[in-house]
Amino acid sequence: MGGIKRLIFLSLLVSIGLGLSVIESMMPVSFVAPGAKLGLSNIVILITLVIFGFKDALTVGILKSIVLTLITGGVISFIYSLSGYIVSCILMYFIYRNFSNIFSLIGVSIFGALGHNFAQVLVASLMMKNFRIFSYLPLLLLTGLFTGYFVGLASMYISRNLQKTFNNIFYTKG
Amino acid sequence: MLTKGDKYLILSIIIISVLSLVYVKNLAVNHGKKYISVQVNGEEVKRIFFDDKIIGKTYPIETEYGYNLIEVADGKVRVIEADCPDQLDVKQGYISKVGEVIVCLPNRLVIEIKGIHDERDIDYMSH
Repeated sequence: MGGIKRLIFLSLLVSIGLGLSVIESMMPVSFVAPGAKLGLSNIVILITLVIFGFKDALTVGILKSIVLTLITGGVISFIYSLSGYIVSCILMYFIYRNFSNIFSLIGVSIFGALGHNFAQVLVASLMMKNFRIFSYLPLLLLTGLFTGYFVGLASMYISRNLQKTFNNIFYTKG
Repeated sequence: MLTKGDKYLILSIIIISVLSLVYVKNLAVNHGKKYISVQVNGEEVKRIFFDDKIIGKTYPIETEYGYNLIEVADGKVRVIEADCPDQLDVKQGYISKVGEVIVCLPNRLVIEIKGIHDERDIDYMSH
């Protein structure tokens, strides 16, 4: 895939992820469980994973976390979100690569949500040196199930169409 | 759209998280390590540990400053009788969380719920 075009598309994906993160931070989902989020920007990560591959998905996730920290100013939430992205990205790649005949993108996305939740709770309990925070995990897993389902559904539709467009752009003109 | 693996995944996650929710809830109820500390004039005169057997029991607190009757319920406590004029402690009703207090100033009585390990509540910092 061509260098500059690829760069532009990846930075577009990063900015779309940023926009989704900012929008989702305005939605009060935290009443379900403290720390529960819609995970809309996971759509971007998942699409990058499908279309560009693992390395680029990781890069997009890390860049998104860094720039989001510059926007919101939350240094502590940077650590949470970065660890969550890295773990969920690795997990999603693993599932997508090895078990895509068993799980659709919905399953991959649910695995990503699980990894994200687990990593965040782990980091939180390590930082506060209090492993009782793990009692939040089942509630987070349940919400992650629902958000992961819809994230997976959305990415399924988007990636199906984007794949064609991207192939046209990258392979017909060079 | 949903493959078989997806369905099994969703089902197993629901089962696992509901089971662990129930487990965590039981853990919190059984080991909600807290006790009632009855203090008169700044000194602890009585400690009452929550127990299934003492639900509904009443404890009279008779001191030189006055008389109060406290009633213990499931994980909570209240004052049901007092000889003080304003009856503020009776009106306050039940307290149940660690750190909550009922104060009867005329009788110099403080009823406080304390945690055994004196753990602070988890302050959720950020997501």
